[in-house]
Amino acid sequence: MKKRLTFLSVISVLVLLFLAACGNDSESTSENGGESDGGTDETQSGSGEEVELRFSIWDSNQESGLRQIANEFEEQNPGIKINIEVNGWGDYWTALEAGATGGSLPDVFWMHSNEIYRYASNEMLLDLNDRIQSSDVVEMDKFPEGLKSIYNFEGTQYAIPKDYDTIGLWYNKTMFDEANVSYPDDTWTWDDLYDAAKQLTKDDGSQYGILTPLHNQEGYYNFVYQNGGTIITDDKVSGYDDPKTIEALEFYVNFVLEGLSPQEFGDGERVTHLQNGLVAMGFFGSWNLTGFTENEYMAENFDVAVLPASNDGGRASIFNGLGNAIAHNTDHPDEAWKWVEYLSSEEGQTRQAELGVAISAYEGAADAWVNSNDTYDIGVFIDMVDYAQIRPYSNTTAVWEDRAYERLNGAFTNDKTVEEAAKDAAAVMNESLSQE
Amino acid sequence: MFNYSISKRKPTKRQVNEWFWGWFFIAPTIVGLIILNLIPIIQTMYLSFFRTGAFGRGNVFIGFDNYVRLFNDAQVWRATANTLLYTGLVIPISISISLVIAVLLNEKIFARTTYRTIYFIPMIAAPAAVTMVWKWLYNREFGLLNYLMDWLGLGRVDWINNPNVALISIVIIGIWSIIGYNVVLMLAGLQEIPKDYYEASVIDGAGPVSKFFHITIPLLSPTLFFITVTTIIQSMQVFDFIYMMIDVASPAYDNTVSLVYLFYNNSFKYGERGYGSAIVMLLLAIIMIITVLQMKAQKKWVNYR
Amino acid sequence: MNSTRKKLYKSIAIHTFLIIGAFIMVFPFIWMVLTAFKTVTESTSMNPFVFFPSEWRWENFATVLEQNNFIRLYYNTLAMMFWRVVCGVMFSAMAAFAFARLTFPGRDFFFGLVLFQMMVPVQIFIIPQYLMVDALGMRNTIFALVFPGLVSAFGTFLLRQFFMQLPKELEEAAILDGANIGQIFLHIMLPLVRSGLIALGIFTALFAFKDLMWPLIINSEPNSAVLASALARIQGAYSIHYPQLMAAAVLAIWPMLAVYLVFQRKFIEGISTSGGKL
Repeated sequence: MKKRLTFLSVISVLVLLFLAACGNDSESTSENGGESDGGTDETQSGSGEEVELRFSIWDSNQESGLRQIANEFEEQNPGIKINIEVNGWGDYWTALEAGATGGSLPDVFWMHSNEIYRYASNEMLLDLNDRIQSSDVVEMDKFPEGLKSIYNFEGTQYAIPKDYDTIGLWYNKTMFDEANVSYPDDTWTWDDLYDAAKQLTKDDGSQYGILTPLHNQEGYYNFVYQNGGTIITDDKVSGYDDPKTIEALEFYVNFVLEGLSPQEFGDGERVTHLQNGLVAMGFFGSWNLTGFTENEYMAENFDVAVLPASNDGGRASIFNGLGNAIAHNTDHPDEAWKWVEYLSSEEGQTRQAELGVAISAYEGAADAWVNSNDTYDIGVFIDMVDYAQIRPYSNTTAVWEDRAYERLNGAFTNDKTVEEAAKDAAAVMNESLSQE
Repeated sequence: MFNYSISKRKPTKRQVNEWFWGWFFIAPTIVGLIILNLIPIIQTMYLSFFRTGAFGRGNVFIGFDNYVRLFNDAQVWRATANTLLYTGLVIPISISISLVIAVLLNEKIFARTTYRTIYFIPMIAAPAAVTMVWKWLYNREFGLLNYLMDWLGLGRVDWINNPNVALISIVIIGIWSIIGYNVVLMLAGLQEIPKDYYEASVIDGAGPVSKFFHITIPLLSPTLFFITVTTIIQSMQVFDFIYMMIDVASPAYDNTVSLVYLFYNNSFKYGERGYGSAIVMLLLAIIMIITVLQMKAQKKWVNYR
Repeated sequence: MNSTRKKLYKSIAIHTFLIIGAFIMVFPFIWMVLTAFKTVTESTSMNPFVFFPSEWRWENFATVLEQNNFIRLYYNTLAMMFWRVVCGVMFSAMAAFAFARLTFPGRDFFFGLVLFQMMVPVQIFIIPQYLMVDALGMRNTIFALVFPGLVSAFGTFLLRQFFMQLPKELEEAAILDGANIGQIFLHIMLPLVRSGLIALGIFTALFAFKDLMWPLIINSEPNSAVLASALARIQGAYSIHYPQLMAAAVLAIWPMLAVYLVFQRKFIEGISTSGGKL
């Protein structure tokens, strides 16, 4: 009796659960369409007087500048209110994923080259083609071709470039003066970099000449492209086993092996090494500018130069840019577009540059950005655009970037040769590319 | 309390009355758990048989392929080993340390309220801030620990990135953060032990050690059992500290990655929720086996009065 | 004479042990507080190693307070903690009593369900629960924050252990007096597991306070955030201002410490009353 009862209750609960699970499933899929009406009443409280837009971003450094732009926009467009939501990089994508799955994305949000494929191919973003065409202020030819095409999926523009970034060589002037080494400039080659790193390294371990961490965008990618190598070919095959790539990696890793750079694998620690005077040179992107300017030690001692050229003169700096996108199911497509339109107009782009938020992607607006900061010689970031190389990406960038990291770290700890590590990385990367 | 066996006899009115009280009392919790937790668990189980598209769309049924892949994935087995090793280190060490502290703090000693507060403090800290501080302490170049190592004339240790050391560093944080939890529970359990038991034993001439093993441990066993079961489950699900300390790029990643970390990366970073779900199922199976074994073993050592 | 000396040595040994332990426990927090007063440079300086800030700078706190609506954050956090404690403790106590002291069909099965739920990592619940709250149109509300904590498997298991420890004679006597099961639960059993209830209350409040991922995702608007999720946001994306982060962490922690101190007294009072009765 007891046994049978238990058994029966197990069965009935399982059946119940299964039904509930299925019911829940169909509910959540149908919601994607239906939710938009339901959401309207809630967020807008029916009055229709004022529209609140959720604008989601991941860089807290840009929040205050964007807030100011939003205030100006709100003044020009009474009835629209912009609520900025900031999350750190990792949480940003988790939250966006939940929003996309549940049908409640923010109205306007940033897009990145690593993620655009997933969002665009699943129709999570609003098709902007018609709106761009009929707009008076958005001129797509004013944006760099490479950036535009990141956010163009099968002929549809899903986001408009907001800004771009390049990577610079940050150096500690005081340390250079002490060691009597002349500052880096656009005549520098890899040999100069190596010599300087050697002279700037102190034997007692209190100071390293350079920081070459295991980091792609702000690290070895730049060297790979300077050397004529590649990370991913046009046919979506890994370039890690390209001899030119391996050669660049060998040069890069060698700094660590020779003790000219500390071994570093953590993301946050890299900046700290610069800020506490452990390293004399480091590679960092233009988006760090606000943080670097606020830091007293760096403002006092540091400046930035273009990246050195390879010994045969090859130049490159990794180039990437964010885009502003609109949710496919936003309740306020017109208002959301107004905001994106403003952000993408010459006026909005110039404001963003003047306020020092980021290097505006709009042609000519970058000069205003250069003038926004007199602590560092940040014109170099613009100078590098001529030979900048778009950050390599494909449909599953986040996967193969991690896989490559897992294989490459052995080279930095000298557990395997750079060549072995690079070939391993190529193999796992190709495996993951083949599943796209 | 009313321990009649439900036999072939027709239940008495009193029994039926007790049944209804029982169902009534558990109803809110059970209904809540079914909605909040069981449905998601079943969905996860279901998803583990699919290659999932992004955002819950375009799932393709692939039978046991995710599980086949799982069994051939060396990283999953390393993660299993790491998770078990972490649990195997944290549980015995943290429980024995906590037990000593709890017993001492249960005596009427000077400043015990202050001690209680201090030992409890690690529990309050948000993991994000705590891990940040530990990361500092451990930092190879400017961390306090290596500063002390230098000062003592010992070599520097790469606490975070050395594959042979990193797991130990994480175990230390794990122990540090769990001691407060254990001590609070043990103190609550110790209060339930009547004083006269000890008084009687003193008359019998028992020393402190004998009191500890013959009175404290047996009478505290229900609490100890609870602590063991819950902390094993918690440790098997270790994620926060590792996630915040060890980047995928770190050479120590393979030696520290836990099953939940792998699940997280697959589900949220790589967009492979199906495979991530299969990893959770593996973890669930392991935890279930361990817990069932504990439930069976409890009859041997846990004393309910 | 000899025995008092022995006692003294013993007490010195005990205190030495406890003080070393306490130091290890509390050191990261001392570090946190000290860092909150430093400049960025001091906070990571190695050569020379900076232990104390050169001056006590309150501006880190001022900046953090200025940029975040802490009043709102305290309110949201406390409301979440309060409701999770009330619901969690009440429902858990009921269920735990039934599992520990009553016999009814399906008891072991349902208790199995409770345990089973604890074995699954919380991360898998986030997206399904998000969809539920979203379907109710309740994102960015206090209800959304409380939602996953409405019932507690952990609490049910914890209190069951406490109820199991009570002697059988208690209820038998009450039954003879003609009390029904509800009365036994309310008037006899609940007061006896007071320390368990308080322990569960403390843990529930703590877990709620530390819950990060859920509030971050479900309450994405800054005005409906809680301390933990706001802290994670302050951490920002790339460049990190350690002293400000630590100032925020200190601001987030002190109310918890205060709440604990208040409850701890109750906790200790619980010792003398319930301990004496048995």
